[in-house]
Amino acid sequence: MAENSGTDPAVNTNADENAAKGGTIIMVTVKTPKDKEEIAISEDSSVAQFKEEISKRFKAKQDQLVLIFAGKILKDGDTLNQHGIKDGLTVHLVIKTSPKASGGSTSQASAPSPGVSSSNRSTAGAGNPPPASTANQSQGTGPSAAPAQPGNLLSGFGDLSNLAGLGMGSSNFMELQQQMQRQLMSNPEMLSQIMENPLVQNMMSNPDLMRQMIMANPQMQQLMERNPEISHMLNNPELMRQTMELARNPAMMQEMMRNQDRALSNLESIPGGYNALRRMYTDIQEPMFSAAREQFGNNPFSALGGSPDGSGAQPSRTENREPLPNPWGPTGSTATTTTTTSTSIFNSPGMQSLMQQISENPQLMQNMLSAPYMRSMMQSLAQNPEIASQVLMNNPLFAGNPQLQEQLRHQLPVFLQQMQNPEALSVMTNPRAMQALMQIQQGLQTLQTEAPGLMPKYIQMPMILIPGGIPGAPLSTGGGLPSETPPASAPTSTPAAGANPSQQQLIQQMLQMFAGGSQSTQTPEVRFQQQLEQLSAMGFINREANLQALIATGGDINAAIERLLGSQPS
Amino acid sequence: SAAAADVPRNFRLLEELEEGQKGVGDGTVSWGLEDDEDMTLTRWRGMIIGPPRTIYENRMYSLKVECGPRYPETPPFVRFVTKINLNGVHNSNGVVDTRAVSALAKWQNSYSIRVVLQELRRLMMCKENMKLPQPPEGQIYTN
Repeated sequence: MAENSGTDPAVNTNADENAAKGGTIIMVTVKTPKDKEEIAISEDSSVAQFKEEISKRFKAKQDQLVLIFAGKILKDGDTLNQHGIKDGLTVHLVIKTSPKASGGSTSQASAPSPGVSSSNRSTAGAGNPPPASTANQSQGTGPSAAPAQPGNLLSGFGDLSNLAGLGMGSSNFMELQQQMQRQLMSNPEMLSQIMENPLVQNMMSNPDLMRQMIMANPQMQQLMERNPEISHMLNNPELMRQTMELARNPAMMQEMMRNQDRALSNLESIPGGYNALRRMYTDIQEPMFSAAREQFGNNPFSALGGSPDGSGAQPSRTENREPLPNPWGPTGSTATTTTTTSTSIFNSPGMQSLMQQISENPQLMQNMLSAPYMRSMMQSLAQNPEIASQVLMNNPLFAGNPQLQEQLRHQLPVFLQQMQNPEALSVMTNPRAMQALMQIQQGLQTLQTEAPGLMPKYIQMPMILIPGGIPGAPLSTGGGLPSETPPASAPTSTPAAGANPSQQQLIQQMLQMFAGGSQSTQTPEVRFQQQLEQLSAMGFINREANLQALIATGGDINAAIERLLGSQPS
Repeated sequence: SAAAADVPRNFRLLEELEEGQKGVGDGTVSWGLEDDEDMTLTRWRGMIIGPPRTIYENRMYSLKVECGPRYPETPPFVRFVTKINLNGVHNSNGVVDTRAVSALAKWQNSYSIRVVLQELRRLMMCKENMKLPQPPEGQIYTN
C-alpha cells in the first residue's frame, strides 16, 4: 500500500479556497456508475465540504449525493481523514434522484417506495375491492377499469391516480399510449389478454407485417446499417416466427430470458467479457431502446438513462416484440365521455376535444399516423374486412347507434381502399392540410346552422366515414359538397342515416375526387405500368397478384417481389 | 513462490483492501475494513448499490463481511445490515445463506469479497428477486 499522501501545495490551482482549510490538497477520484471525476480537496476537509465540491462538479444538489468509501457511507459530519481517504483513492458516488438523501442509517421508515404504497391502498379502503386485490404493486388494474369508474373512485386510491390520466385527465394520445404501455408492462394478465386478442394475433402471425413495421422506423434503419447482423436476423423468417411465438407466449419468453441472463453472467466473468458486454450494450441496445421508445412513446424499461450496466443488459430484449397498444382503444375511450344520441356524433364533446387537440397539435396527427404500426394496421385492416368491421363495431363510438353501423359497413370497403392510397395518407400527415380540412368542416357546420335547407344532413354521412380517431379524408368530402350543385340530390328531411342511393353516389363521387387528389385519375394499373412490365418480364405472371403487391408496397419493386415470393409457399 | 492455493491470508486481504480503496470494479459495490486499526483484517464492511430497473434501485445496502482465519480457503461470512427482502437472506437477521449464493456455495480461493458482493447484486437482478416488496428504506437488522 504505497500511497503517498503528500502533494506539493504550491502546485495546486484552486489552492486559494481549499488551502484556507489548511492541510495538503489531495486528488480523490469520485466514481459513479456512469462517470468518473477527479476532485481536488484538502485532506482535512469534512465530508460536507467534499460534497460541496462534488455537487458543483456533478451538477447535482448536495442532499442528493451519497458517498461511499470502502464499504461505508460517508456522513456529512465525518472528515475524510476519519475514513482514511487519501490521495489517489476512489470514492463511490450515488446521485439519488429522489430528494431523500439519507442512506442506510437508523430507522427512518418514511421512504415512498412502492412497497409502502400498497399499504396506503388498503387503508384508503372502502371502495372497490377488485382493484385493490388484483395488484400488489402499483398500477395493477387494466385500463378497462378506469373509464368505467369515474373520478371519485380513482381519487380514493393514491396509486390508481395515475390510471386517472388514462381516460380522464390527459387525453393526449401519446400520453395515453404511454400509459397503456406502462399498464401492459406491469400487469401480465392484461398482457396475455391482449395477446389473445385475435386482431393482435393476426398481426403478429404475419412476419411480413412485423418486419415492415420494424424496418419502417428510421432509427431501426440506422441501427441495421451499423449492425448488419440485425438486418440478417430480421430477414430470417424462421427467426422472426420464433420470436413472434415467444412474444405470444410470455412463459416461453421468461424461459428464454432466464437463459440469456445465465449466459450473460457467464460471459461477464471471463476476462474482457464485461467490456465486450458493455460495448454490445451501447452499440446495440441503446439505439434499440430509443427506437422502441420512439415508437411506443415510452421506454418500457424506465430509468434506463443510458446506464452502462452491462451485466444487467439482456440482448434478448432486442427480440422482445411488445404487443402493440390498441390504437382504437384509447381514442375510443377518450371520445366517449357520453354517447350522444345527436345525429352528428362528431360534435360530441369527446370528439371535439380530440379534434381540437389534433388541430392544435398537428404533430400529434403526424405522429399518430406515421407510427409504423398505424400504417400496417390499416393495411391489414384493408386486407381483412371482417376484422375491420369487427373493430369498428366494437368501438364504443358506434356502439349506441346501429344506423351508423349500417352506414359504416357500406362505406367500409371504399374507405379502406382509400386509406391505402398513399396520397390520402400523405394528406393526413400533412398538418396544414389537416387544418384546412378542419376549417372546411367548421365552415360547413356554420352553413348548416345558418341555412339548414341548403345542406341538410349531408354533413352526417361523410363524417360517419371516420372511425376511431382518423378524421381524415371524409372531412374533405364535406369540402366537395359546395362544389356539387346542392339541388343535385333530393334534400329529404330524413335523417342522414338512411341509405339513400343517390346520396351514396354523391359520397362515392366525392371520395373519388378526393382520392384523385393532385394526381390525375390514374388507376394503380396505369401508374405501375412500368413496374408491372418488369415483374412479368421476371416471370411473375400473375398480374393480379403483382398489382396487389405493387399497391401494397407503393411501387417498390423489390419489396413487391418479396411479398410475392413470401405468399407463394404458404 | 507461492502457488495460487498458498497465498498468505494477510497478503490477500491487503490486496483486497487496496482494491476497495481504489474502486476497482464497476463502481456498483464497495468494500473496506470496518475498523482501520483492525490488524487482523477480519471485519469488513461492504456496500451494494441497488441495481437499476429493479425494486432495489437507488438504495444502498450495507453488509458485514467476516473473513475468518482460514480465508481465502474458506468463504467469508456475509450478512446484510440494511434490511432487505432477497431470496437467500434470512429475514430475521440478514445473514446470507451460503447455499443460496453460488459464489459462497462453490467458493474458490481465487474469489474475493468483491466477487461475493457482485454476486449478491446480480441476485437482486434475477427475475425472482427483482420485484420482491422491500421494507422501508433505512431500516437495519438489530441483532
